[in-house]
Amino acid sequence: MKIHNRKMQVSVLGLAVQCALAAMFALPMMAQAADATEADDANMRRPSNYVEVGAGYVSEDSAKFGEYNGLNDSGPYLIGNFSVRGGDSYEGGDGTLRWGITGTDLGTTSRELGATVGHQGQWHLNIGYDELRHNISDTYQTPQQGSMGGNTFTFPADFGTINGQSNPSARVLNATQLGAFHTTDVHTDRKNTSFGAGYIFSPKLSLKFDYNHLDQDGAKLLGVGALGAPATTGTWRAEAVNIIMNPTNYKTDTFNLALNWVGDKGHLTGSYFGSIFRDGYDSVSAQNAMLSNTSTAAPGLYQTNTMSTAPDNSLHQLNLTGGYAFSSATKLSGGLSYGRNTQDNSYLSGMPEIFSAPRSSLDGKVITTHADLKLTHQATQDLALSAGLKYNERENKSPSNMYQFWAINGVSTNLANVDYAANAPYSNRKTQFELAGDYRLSKGQNVRLAYEHESIKRWCDNYAIAGANCLVNPGNDEDKLGVTYRLKALDNVNFNAGYTFSKRGADFEGNAITPLAGLNTPNPDDVNALNYPGYIAYPYAKRDQHLVKAGVNWQASEKLDLGLNGRYARDDYNATLGVQDGHTASVNLDATYAYSENGSVSAYASWMNRERNLKAGAAGAGAVNEATSYALLVAPANIWTNQLEEDGNAIGLNTKHKLMGGKLEIVGDVSYSLDKSHYSTQVPYVANCGTPAVLTCGSTPDIKNELITLKLTGTYALDKSAKVGVGYLYQQLNSNDYYYNAYQYGYTPNRVMPTNEQAPSYEVHVVAVSYIYNFK
Amino acid sequence: MKSINIYALRLAAMVLAVGLGFSMSASAEEASGTPSNKLGPADTVLRGDAKCTGCHDNSDNPPPTMLGLHPEVLAIGKTKHGVVGDTRTPTCSSCHGESTSHMKKPEAGGKRASPDRVFGKHTSNTAGERSGACLTCHKGSGRTHWAGSQHPSNDVACSSCHKIHAEHDTVRDKKTQPQVCFTCHKDQRADSKKISHHAIGEGKVACSDCHNPHGSAGPKLLKKNSVNETCFTCHAEKRGPFLWEHQPVTEDCTNCHTPHGSNITPLLKSRAPFLCSECHDGPHNSKVPAAGNAAGFQGGLTAVPSENYTGRACQNCHSMVHGSNHPAGALLHR
Repeated sequence: MKIHNRKMQVSVLGLAVQCALAAMFALPMMAQAADATEADDANMRRPSNYVEVGAGYVSEDSAKFGEYNGLNDSGPYLIGNFSVRGGDSYEGGDGTLRWGITGTDLGTTSRELGATVGHQGQWHLNIGYDELRHNISDTYQTPQQGSMGGNTFTFPADFGTINGQSNPSARVLNATQLGAFHTTDVHTDRKNTSFGAGYIFSPKLSLKFDYNHLDQDGAKLLGVGALGAPATTGTWRAEAVNIIMNPTNYKTDTFNLALNWVGDKGHLTGSYFGSIFRDGYDSVSAQNAMLSNTSTAAPGLYQTNTMSTAPDNSLHQLNLTGGYAFSSATKLSGGLSYGRNTQDNSYLSGMPEIFSAPRSSLDGKVITTHADLKLTHQATQDLALSAGLKYNERENKSPSNMYQFWAINGVSTNLANVDYAANAPYSNRKTQFELAGDYRLSKGQNVRLAYEHESIKRWCDNYAIAGANCLVNPGNDEDKLGVTYRLKALDNVNFNAGYTFSKRGADFEGNAITPLAGLNTPNPDDVNALNYPGYIAYPYAKRDQHLVKAGVNWQASEKLDLGLNGRYARDDYNATLGVQDGHTASVNLDATYAYSENGSVSAYASWMNRERNLKAGAAGAGAVNEATSYALLVAPANIWTNQLEEDGNAIGLNTKHKLMGGKLEIVGDVSYSLDKSHYSTQVPYVANCGTPAVLTCGSTPDIKNELITLKLTGTYALDKSAKVGVGYLYQQLNSNDYYYNAYQYGYTPNRVMPTNEQAPSYEVHVVAVSYIYNFK
Repeated sequence: MKSINIYALRLAAMVLAVGLGFSMSASAEEASGTPSNKLGPADTVLRGDAKCTGCHDNSDNPPPTMLGLHPEVLAIGKTKHGVVGDTRTPTCSSCHGESTSHMKKPEAGGKRASPDRVFGKHTSNTAGERSGACLTCHKGSGRTHWAGSQHPSNDVACSSCHKIHAEHDTVRDKKTQPQVCFTCHKDQRADSKKISHHAIGEGKVACSDCHNPHGSAGPKLLKKNSVNETCFTCHAEKRGPFLWEHQPVTEDCTNCHTPHGSNITPLLKSRAPFLCSECHDGPHNSKVPAAGNAAGFQGGLTAVPSENYTGRACQNCHSMVHGSNHPAGALLHR
């Protein structure tokens, strides 16, 4: 310990006497003190390095438990973490060298490694490797041959076809077919390798470069539709829809190069951002179980269904951002971006299409343009003003053409039933203008008023259907006005409340011919994207929105801190059909009690609710009319409704304790969350809609997920540089989701191949022991 | 290091002397008759920090030091702000102000004035004053849009999130950052516990992977200019442009997804077909009420369940909802 005080300073003589005494009587003690002083000095400057090595054990296999943490398989795991830093900059002299190497979770598929080196204020380099396995399912089964990560899936030669029966329980797979099913783990790996560098030319000018290579492989589950009926009408056959392992054989290279200039009053950054994506596959194919291997395919009825994969694409973007301070009170900031996103993958060939595409590739091109400008002004000590403008445009310059094809539900030998559609290269332009004023009413009391106007325009360039609009919602305008009040009521109480009202208007182009409406023939009668007249998709409908939020934080004492906040938003849509209204609400309560310097307890509770109410035009058995005009859309005869509801609850408790004079540190964490989704439908025009044979009204079973977590970790300091860590984790997920019903043997719908996937419930214990070596 | 050792020797000698019952220090001073202020206090960690770390004045007995008063602040020596070899490195007064009032001895019984700028919980400095200290040096680049953005407008200062003196600034560590953000963003904390989530709790995705808390030109402080540009940073396979685009997808991923967590995998606002029915009620089966049909045979349905409502529902067939590049993919089937 260094002590600087004149009273402690002594004359040279005094020092000599003291030193003599010390030398005579207490050299060992002095040496110890000197060592301690050096150690203290090191403590102040030198980084805390550590190496942790240990082992953990996971009690149960679970893809869901190990979704992102790499602990999906039961059994032992290696624990490996380290962080070592050094360089002469830690010595306190003129040195500026700093380097560091880190590694975390080295024993799992979530491992991460990194290294940095540089002279601070001059240059730096860094490299990194980050791995993440997303475990998706360990219960997925398929009768198809083909490995995860591959792009071809076929049935065994003796698989045969599956006949659909009207009664699902009678739709059994024969022994050969059942024997073909096998379980495959489905996951996708993301491996990021990064490199970064920076160079400071002068205090005003610097250059920074970052590169990242993302290598993905594995698969995600995907539905592949296929024709469910043979060309000749009659017997429907089953399981033509397959859930396949869609390969994620992706590589993405990302570059960012930025030149920064900082002056006394202004600053400017010019940068280039590039992102190049490549897919290792052009297609993925899956055999159609509906057709036996020897069947002759009718037009549109494919023995092998071929899907497109994500096309290679690239984005190159130039950016310029900067700011200028006219004075300490008035500042201007803004930016410009210009991006060019292209895609020209060749269309699939060799598929049993009898139609040729009008082009061999899309030659797709999207130009993105962005501009923003913001002026802030501290008008007086109490009043701050700001005004901003934003402009974003996505202009899709891809060509539009008519394409002929067999839809998977449209097979016929009659060419009149061939589908046509024009691809619609969607463009949009969004402009936003905002004004805000923040006024200090008194010390600790502020009010903020903000106004925002947003306008969106949508269109298609060169749409292949001459004279037609490609979308039914060509524009929206929204005005938003908000007020926020903040009050420091007492020295230890902070309160805030706010209200925002927004009103969204909408343009409607009912005569637009969308790609869907253009099916079969470009038919001007197929309006509103084939939706009923008056139906408007919710993102584009007229809407009034009210948002109220409030929060209070009370520092009840030096030890106790309490917080409460809530939020309620209500949406009212002005649409004949579609989403009518909805709300979201949440309340959060937090408390922290720091009972001593060596311990604290904190707890939280959160509640949320979300609801959406929809109206839809009449359809199905019992409907008076399948409405085709506004006049026929009269409730209750021709309207059915949907209510979508979500509930969420989460509570948690966290404790931290230091015991035995700080040698033993214990951290405990308990949390519980329960989330429910619930959908209910009312069909007033069908009396028997709720009977088991119909079930077109009523409610779905709750989708309920309950997660319980208990985590205890403790570290005990063996000596100054060594610790032993012990950890225990218990986690239980109770998942109840009707989603999986559809994919069970014998219960699948008429056309879906079972996968036997199970709800991902689990109960897992993890124990871990590690040795941690700390050093400077 | 040399001067440090001299002090260490002095300290060792003093401790020894006291331990042996000799008041050597006082005696020496008296014997010499010289004032003891020839050597001023030396810097401890930062250049010029002595006037703070060498506190406080002759009347203090025993003399408090910064090590005794606030030992944790000296950990700044381990941070980038502690690299004295870097000419840009600040000293205490760079951030806390010259604090001349604070350095004066208070009147008898009076309370010592606070430093000019205090960053702790009980500060009387405004968020703007606190952040101003940082923005003197940290301007431009990622902080271009700080002025007037959401955080400063809500009295959030740099020090609300950053621990300037700590060796480990929790908000700059991917694994611990979310806990800092969740201090205020509690709905997102609850969302992150849901069954479908980004790998936030697992420490593989941090809030700052998508958001720039220092201000941005995008919505919701997103790093990029739009929601989609931000999502495509990691999900470039969905960028296209596709031959067959799904219009709301080209505009805003959050039309269907809720990025902080959901009860419906993958991060969906609702389960199909109910999700789809928020935008479609005409084509094909989207005009037909699904209700309990969606739970299939096990949900009590005795008729044949439809692939239009069960499982992936619409996406059993319309699986290419992010866009298709297949010439026969107009219906997002292929």
